[in-house]
Amino acid sequence: MSNHNPDAPKHLKHYFANVDQQYETSKFAMWAFILTEVLTFAGLFVAYIVFRSWYPDMFVDAHKLLDVNKGLMNTIVLITSSLTMALAIWAIQKNNRKLSLIMLIATFVFAFCFLGIKFLEYSHKFEVGQLPGEYYSYMGPEVVHLNNPHIFFSIYFIMTGLHGLHVAIGMGLIAWLIYATYKGNLSSEYYTPMEMIGIFWHLVDLIWIYLFPLFYLIG
Amino acid sequence: MSEHHITPLRTYLIIAASLLFLSGVTVWVSYIDLGPLNIVVAMLVATIKASLVAFFFMHLLWDDKKNLTMFLMSLMFFGIFVTITLLDTEFRGDLDLNPEVKDPINKRAVFYDTLPLTDTHGHPVDEHSDNHHEDKDHH
Repeated sequence: MSNHNPDAPKHLKHYFANVDQQYETSKFAMWAFILTEVLTFAGLFVAYIVFRSWYPDMFVDAHKLLDVNKGLMNTIVLITSSLTMALAIWAIQKNNRKLSLIMLIATFVFAFCFLGIKFLEYSHKFEVGQLPGEYYSYMGPEVVHLNNPHIFFSIYFIMTGLHGLHVAIGMGLIAWLIYATYKGNLSSEYYTPMEMIGIFWHLVDLIWIYLFPLFYLIG
Repeated sequence: MSEHHITPLRTYLIIAASLLFLSGVTVWVSYIDLGPLNIVVAMLVATIKASLVAFFFMHLLWDDKKNLTMFLMSLMFFGIFVTITLLDTEFRGDLDLNPEVKDPINKRAVFYDTLPLTDTHGHPVDEHSDNHHEDKDHH
């Protein structure tokens, strides 16, 4: 694209003065996107806060139906995947393409584990009828005295579901990064896509850091 | 691109270890009853973890401060969102103009009367013969 300057690097778009300006612009745009992501989840966090303040006892009792061990396992899996993502960027900055590739594949595998554990949790809840809204039907001994536990599960499923969707999208993006790194399109000279997808992936981790105590560790 | 800050490997490993340690702490502390402080402690630990992720993994510490500003703005607007919503939902009925809205939330939703309720094993439970409204002020 940089027809006016034959010495410019191939990845530099002609409408940027230099690679640093291009990199900084991409990063600022990514943070604008992160802002919209935070505000998307903000609506759901507000729903959580309002309903928990209305039904404090119901939230405490209904959360006992969630499996803390699975939640903690997912927390560990996601933090580790955040580390491997950060190390993939570190490796590409050092121009170590092979290590970067290994770290990206590890990140992908951890993301898959996260969704696998989530699937086990969801399928159990579907079986016993701990479902959102009018699909709720569970009346085991822990909840017979409770008023409206379906509200807890509506919020639980929508928040963890939207988060799970982000994990799935993140997996697609990481798969593309694996391909691009394998083809040799990314290097210490140009790794902008990896840095941006890394920021997205850490945001997914960051949201889970709040979801875990808010759903699994109440009271 | 060569002058980008490269975080040392040691930093990443220390941060990841701290995050895993704090995850253990937050689970451990949730088994201790601190009363109303439970949620405060849980959110404090979560915020420390989130800050570690944002500043080190997301490189905000070394970035141009405009990126941090953008992120903090999103949190600021979240704060406004929460505050204004709670100003409504927490004080409904306080003026006694319409006493019915004051405590509308401790009744079981009507649709529980028609639900096919099931127990731990997915077997049907006959709950509908009970009068749920007896325990509407259960705490």
